Amino acid sequence: MSVEGGHAAGAHQRSHPTVRQYLLIGLLLMLITVVELIASYSDIGSLLIPILIVLSAVKFAVVVAYFMHLRFEDPLLTRLFVFGFVLAGAILIALIALFWTDSAISNR
Amino acid sequence: MAEAAHAPSPAAGARHSTTGIDSRKLLMWIFLASECLFFGSLISTYLIFKGDIPFPSPAFITEHMHGGEVTGWFPADRTGPDGTEYAGVLNIPVTSASTFVLLMSSVAMVLAVFGAQNGRPKMMKLWLFATMLLGIVFLGFQVFEFHEFGAEGLNLSTNQFGASFFVLTGFHGAHVTVGVLMLGSLLVGSMRRTGLGPDSGFHVETVGLYWHFVDIVWIVIFTIIYLIPA
Amino acid sequence: MATAAGALAPPAVPAPSVVWSWLTTVDHKRIGTLYGVSGMAFFVLGGIEALMIRGQLAVPNGDVVDAEHFNALFSMHALTMIFLAIMPLGAAFFNWLVPLMIGARDVAFPRLNALSYWFFLAGALMLNASWFLGGAPDTGWFAYPPLTEEPFSTSRAMDFYTVSLLILGVASLIAALNFIVTIINLRAPGMTMLRLPVFVWMTMIVSWLLALSLPVLTVGLVQLYFDRNFTTHFFIPDGGGDPILWQHIFWIFGHPEVYVLILPAMGIVSEVLPTFARKPLFGYAAVVFAGLSIAVLGFAVWSHHMFTTGLGPVPRVVFSATTMTIAVPTGVKIFNWLATLYGGNIRFTTAMYFAVGFIATFTIGGISGVMHASPPIDSQQQDTYFIVAHLHYVLFGGAIMGIFAGVYYWFPKFTGRFLNEGIGKLHFWLFFIGMNLTFFPMHFLGVAGMPRRIYTYDADLGWETWNFVATIGAFVIAAGMLTFLWNFVRSLRAEANAPDNPWDAPTLEWATSSPPPEHDFDVVPVVRARDPLWHDRDNGLAPPEPDPNEHIHLPPPSYYPLLIAIGFALFGIGALSHLAVLALGAVVIVYGVWGWVLEPTGPEPGGAH
Repeated sequence: MSVEGGHAAGAHQRSHPTVRQYLLIGLLLMLITVVELIASYSDIGSLLIPILIVLSAVKFAVVVAYFMHLRFEDPLLTRLFVFGFVLAGAILIALIALFWTDSAISNR
Repeated sequence: MAEAAHAPSPAAGARHSTTGIDSRKLLMWIFLASECLFFGSLISTYLIFKGDIPFPSPAFITEHMHGGEVTGWFPADRTGPDGTEYAGVLNIPVTSASTFVLLMSSVAMVLAVFGAQNGRPKMMKLWLFATMLLGIVFLGFQVFEFHEFGAEGLNLSTNQFGASFFVLTGFHGAHVTVGVLMLGSLLVGSMRRTGLGPDSGFHVETVGLYWHFVDIVWIVIFTIIYLIPA
Repeated sequence: MATAAGALAPPAVPAPSVVWSWLTTVDHKRIGTLYGVSGMAFFVLGGIEALMIRGQLAVPNGDVVDAEHFNALFSMHALTMIFLAIMPLGAAFFNWLVPLMIGARDVAFPRLNALSYWFFLAGALMLNASWFLGGAPDTGWFAYPPLTEEPFSTSRAMDFYTVSLLILGVASLIAALNFIVTIINLRAPGMTMLRLPVFVWMTMIVSWLLALSLPVLTVGLVQLYFDRNFTTHFFIPDGGGDPILWQHIFWIFGHPEVYVLILPAMGIVSEVLPTFARKPLFGYAAVVFAGLSIAVLGFAVWSHHMFTTGLGPVPRVVFSATTMTIAVPTGVKIFNWLATLYGGNIRFTTAMYFAVGFIATFTIGGISGVMHASPPIDSQQQDTYFIVAHLHYVLFGGAIMGIFAGVYYWFPKFTGRFLNEGIGKLHFWLFFIGMNLTFFPMHFLGVAGMPRRIYTYDADLGWETWNFVATIGAFVIAAGMLTFLWNFVRSLRAEANAPDNPWDAPTLEWATSSPPPEHDFDVVPVVRARDPLWHDRDNGLAPPEPDPNEHIHLPPPSYYPLLIAIGFALFGIGALSHLAVLALGAVVIVYGVWGWVLEPTGPEPGGAH
């Protein structure tokens, strides 16, 4: 980061959360983590993995939207980041699927 | 990283931006999109090798395992082909604590950004310091965990879990370390007479973006490695 | 300090010496020149490697080089041409043209731009240093394990490979991020996304491809480095690893990389053809969206490099289908170029020769590419000279022909001097005939069963004739390159007499002087149409007058990019030698970043001396 520049800090259109709201969001993240832990220790069978994935996705989205301010930024930034994220997800799911369904790996 | 856009604008000295988005923030977000592919590749390597870890032979267990408890070099508890119960190496309570620490650091970071953007330098410095401290504590947890695993006999060459686990969490730790360095630089910079300059809110926010990204990567890693069982 | 008072006054840059001013430059035009000269030098080096390969294969049982050196030569030929010649030559055009074409005075981050060049140079030198420090990489540019692992590759060659490619990757990533931001954020007034010149669009697409594929290669290289140095077994079957994983990781990067090599040439041709056909590009939007489709599809085809690894029937069908789909947007582009020529008032300059030659040879390469998109055919062609023929039609007949079209087209803009058209046409014909003579027979050799990467062959296999012809062709290409270098030197010593817009071209870079002043434009142009200069010419609009009160701020030179690159190079050398060197590199990097951050660059009072 350079120390110069004429950027007017805080020149955003939509109002940012207040300190109180940030703390509440932090609390929410903690609570979700606790729920995840409880879920992973309890015996809920095949539902466990979907539940964990959904809860983690919620945490991910909340951090990106509020802590990283993406909800209050130009939609272009959201599009750029989501493009990279979705592409990463798609390629890597395809890659994992190639291996998990691939008989070659069990023949090793 | 976040360099000034050099005003190629008709208006003297004004920062030029076609979209109205600051170029440095744009750069950071595209970099983070690129980082998704980086951590995605490491995570998929882990997932590809997950469940592909041979059980240790009984002879090896007698030779290397610690008194009483049979510990394996796989993430979670398992039952071997002969019905023996093997304990996994992952210590979920300890890692949950470090996960809380990292989440707390994100809250602290957001408060530092709030302070910087609302002209409250004391608040900014306090929470920058808190963020950095929590980051260091997280790294401490990681050093402890690596050390424990080493004592159990799990290292880079033990098996595919060891290799992909250490490389994935190691690179995450390296990102945290870089983040701590950046937070430290901001803190030192803010102690100067001129502070962080007129752009302080911006600098803190950009470092914050990086820090939160490192945090969400950990959210994914924590779920995939620690919470989802074998 | 570089705050020039008055638009026309040259910025008062303190320049103790010419060398120092180049080492510390942050001017996109100078960085473009550095990339271009380095890229040409490595193109010659890679060409010499190719001549040695062809010399060895000219006759059966050749003995120009031995088997080990042959392996190193074909590996380094590929690495040099891909990473050290075509990519930097593309980057040279990006650097020179993107700010000029969008009406900006520099890229968004001038110092990062310099940093990416110095990183590139560090990686390039490190890769080639391996020749003298225990042997060059000799496992092909794709470095498939387990050949690249212990105990099959015991020299440091593969460590040079991983470390240099990591450094080159960081260089490309930095440049890619910089160009994306520049194109999104530094456009002149009126330059909407759908008025961007096609070349700028292709730059942006290439940058996205790099930004999203290089991290995957980075992970693979780190894993390979760990396998070789830190006892992991990611790709070693004996330890539970999987060599096929490397192939996936490599080609998830490697296939987008193919488009990184060809899309800049497509962008260049899309600028050259309309200018010399004197009519706008046919189907501008279709060409742009075809480029975007190629990029997105490019991430969904990687396994077609691995059809013979036992993927299973479903993946083979899927990847075969996605690969064939890419032929559609590529075909769209080819037909749009032809339609641009159709009915045009064509001037056959040297640049136009190369552009039209590009269409012909690239199409041949594209068609042979679709052939081995079919798994059964690919199973026959895999690892034969047919593939060598295909990829050289795409990379030489495509990328290199396109790049030389750009060299002849923009040389007056870059230097203020023309390349000689007569010698240029001789150069074209030597290249065109030479490449077809070299690479077309390789189709026959491949079908006749000649495998790639064999260092010699017996006399009675029926491969002698075409191998000999291919070797003759390679030397014809070399003669063409010598012709170009002669033309180049001759032109640089000639009088600078190029006008601003010698070709009557439509894009903004021709609105400023040849060569452009350091601040690019005396007055930032206002764009009113897709082909701005033709629009202004046809509507009788005069260029705007410079504002005498305007203060043009140019970034001051900086040595921190070079310093950080030296630190990064030390870091890399440390990864190959001793931890102490690595630590020293880390210290230099941290020091350099701090200096960089605190260095005043802005126009604010107090921010500069």
